[in-house]
Amino acid sequence: MTARRTGPHPLDPRSLRWKITALVVLACAAVAVVIGVLVHRSTAEHGERTGRDLAVAQLGAAEQELSRTGRRPDNASLESLAGLPLPLARALEGSTAPGEYALWYDVKAPNWYWMWAAAPVGDGRVLVVRTDMSATVRSLQLLDRSIVKAALAALAVVVPLTVLATERMNRRLRHGARTARRIADGDLDARIGHRGRARDEITEMSAAVDGMAGALQGRLAAEKRFTADVAHELRTPLMGLVTAVGLLPEDDEAAGLVRTQVGALRGLVEDLLEVSRLDAGAESARFDEVPLGDLVDEVAGRGDGDIRLRLTAPATVSTDPRRVERILTNLLANAHRHGAAPVEVTVTGSRITVRDHGPGFPDALLADGPQRFRTGAVERGQGHGLGLTIATGQAAVLGARLTFANAPDGGALATLDLTGP
Amino acid sequence: MSATRVPDAVNVLLVEDDAVIRRSVQLALERYGYRVDVTGDGLDGLDAVRAGEHDVLILDVMLPGLDGISLCRRVREETLTPILMMSARGDALDVVAGLEAGADDYVVKPVDIPVLVARIRSLLRRATFHERPAAEPAREEPTAAGEPTTSHRHLPAGEAPDLLTFGGLTIDPRGLEVRLDGRPVALTPTELRLLLVFAENPGTVLDRRHLLREVWDYGWEGDTRVVDLCVVRLRKKIGAERIETVRGFGYKLLRG
Repeated sequence: MTARRTGPHPLDPRSLRWKITALVVLACAAVAVVIGVLVHRSTAEHGERTGRDLAVAQLGAAEQELSRTGRRPDNASLESLAGLPLPLARALEGSTAPGEYALWYDVKAPNWYWMWAAAPVGDGRVLVVRTDMSATVRSLQLLDRSIVKAALAALAVVVPLTVLATERMNRRLRHGARTARRIADGDLDARIGHRGRARDEITEMSAAVDGMAGALQGRLAAEKRFTADVAHELRTPLMGLVTAVGLLPEDDEAAGLVRTQVGALRGLVEDLLEVSRLDAGAESARFDEVPLGDLVDEVAGRGDGDIRLRLTAPATVSTDPRRVERILTNLLANAHRHGAAPVEVTVTGSRITVRDHGPGFPDALLADGPQRFRTGAVERGQGHGLGLTIATGQAAVLGARLTFANAPDGGALATLDLTGP
Repeated sequence: MSATRVPDAVNVLLVEDDAVIRRSVQLALERYGYRVDVTGDGLDGLDAVRAGEHDVLILDVMLPGLDGISLCRRVREETLTPILMMSARGDALDVVAGLEAGADDYVVKPVDIPVLVARIRSLLRRATFHERPAAEPAREEPTAAGEPTTSHRHLPAGEAPDLLTFGGLTIDPRGLEVRLDGRPVALTPTELRLLLVFAENPGTVLDRRHLLREVWDYGWEGDTRVVDLCVVRLRKKIGAERIETVRGFGYKLLRG
């Protein structure tokens, strides 16, 4: 099984959580900016208007003072038109009638924040007053700063809350992905299920995935049941056949042919039954303390092919000896059928290896594991490929690891690792 | 096939509904020298058991009239004759049900005749042991290829103690009589063999593989459930507390 990507890590910026958080931050920031700008603008206008009113009032008072006493008050000055700052002079152009005045808000360095008011008083002279606006400006700056602070404080609360709120959603999605992977890896009973009270698109998707898994499992089960039923129904007639063949004369060639074929048919039916039992997941191991050396010796000695057995400190492990025997028998049969002599069986501690000196396992088997009825042999009649499927299935029941490889100097190498619990 | 003759004919009753299997197994066993009665129906099978003296019963599980499991249970109520179940399923349910009903062993179809014969011989060895006390030399079974451990030789007449006592349980290894609080206990040959193996090693933990080899003559291919269920039956007869389960290892007979 190759390792597969498991989606972004929770801290990965590509994770959905951070995308949602970024979206929330963006939305908050946009709202804060719009409101901040509106407040800033209206406050600034209000301040300017107040400054203008003040300047106009001062100008009016100065004009009265001038007309009454002929002297300008201290807070006003009399300038010639040419002596005025240029923008103010331009604003005054054309307004010569008494009572008319001009205003200019000076925000340029070095004369920051003055509200100028000027009115012509005849003789080309202009009465000018100016009001200091810096207090207003400073309060506006303070307001800006507090708006930014408030926005940042709001974000500081909203972001963690969003992360927390997405966590649940995130968890549900990850749980769904994990379950789907488990189903893909062969745990057909895995379901996402429905936890909590949420009723949203995730719930809907989970239900859909669960429904799909159930439907597929049902179909798979029906197919497997069919195989099991067929194999089972074949057993009774096969038993009659096997026994009857045993009654045929030993030295008859035709009887020998029938005997060989009945043997092959029987092997196939038994293997099919074993595969369907393993598929059904109904098998459970019965553990015993098993001295591997004795077991392997006995099984290897029973086979008819040439086997070189080497025992290096064989361990006694808690395992199901019947299943180990099935695995070993199938590995040996495979080595004899597809490989070439000598077949070497090695027991090292709790590890058993079976190695032959043939062309090795086909690439498809090394990549995908054993597949039933796929032997990799182009010519037909070279076995049905169930043996290694059975070996793998039995190893899974034992909780042992069965790996297939090709030895560096040629030949198939199967390793059964029975690490005791 | 080298059909070895059995000295004095052993009577086998085969209850099997499939005509081809029934006839071919009968013919094959007859070549080995057994006398084989056959019947294809569970109720007829029960009548046949009652009518004749059989040394071994071979019962199919799926039977018309009375199914093999029920037949096995009914037979057990009346006789201690060794029973071999023959199942086409081989899954846990069939096997366990048959053994619980009192069968001594089971085989799964399709079964090779040599395997069936080996099973019958193993059953007979226990039964023979039961019928012929250790004072007489055990009858030699025809051996096909190196007879498996005939562990009844562990208790030759000269060495056998007179009586083994474990609390209220007394075993007479010579007379092969078992009494519980003075009353005789009826044990099947398999149960008796098992109890004797325990009695030879009181207080010792015997693992199931060992028991399977000693009593059933199985190698690694044997199913240890056979042992477990025989222990269950034995406990029912001699008191559950006498045989202790040692989890992960096996069983031991308590000394007293």
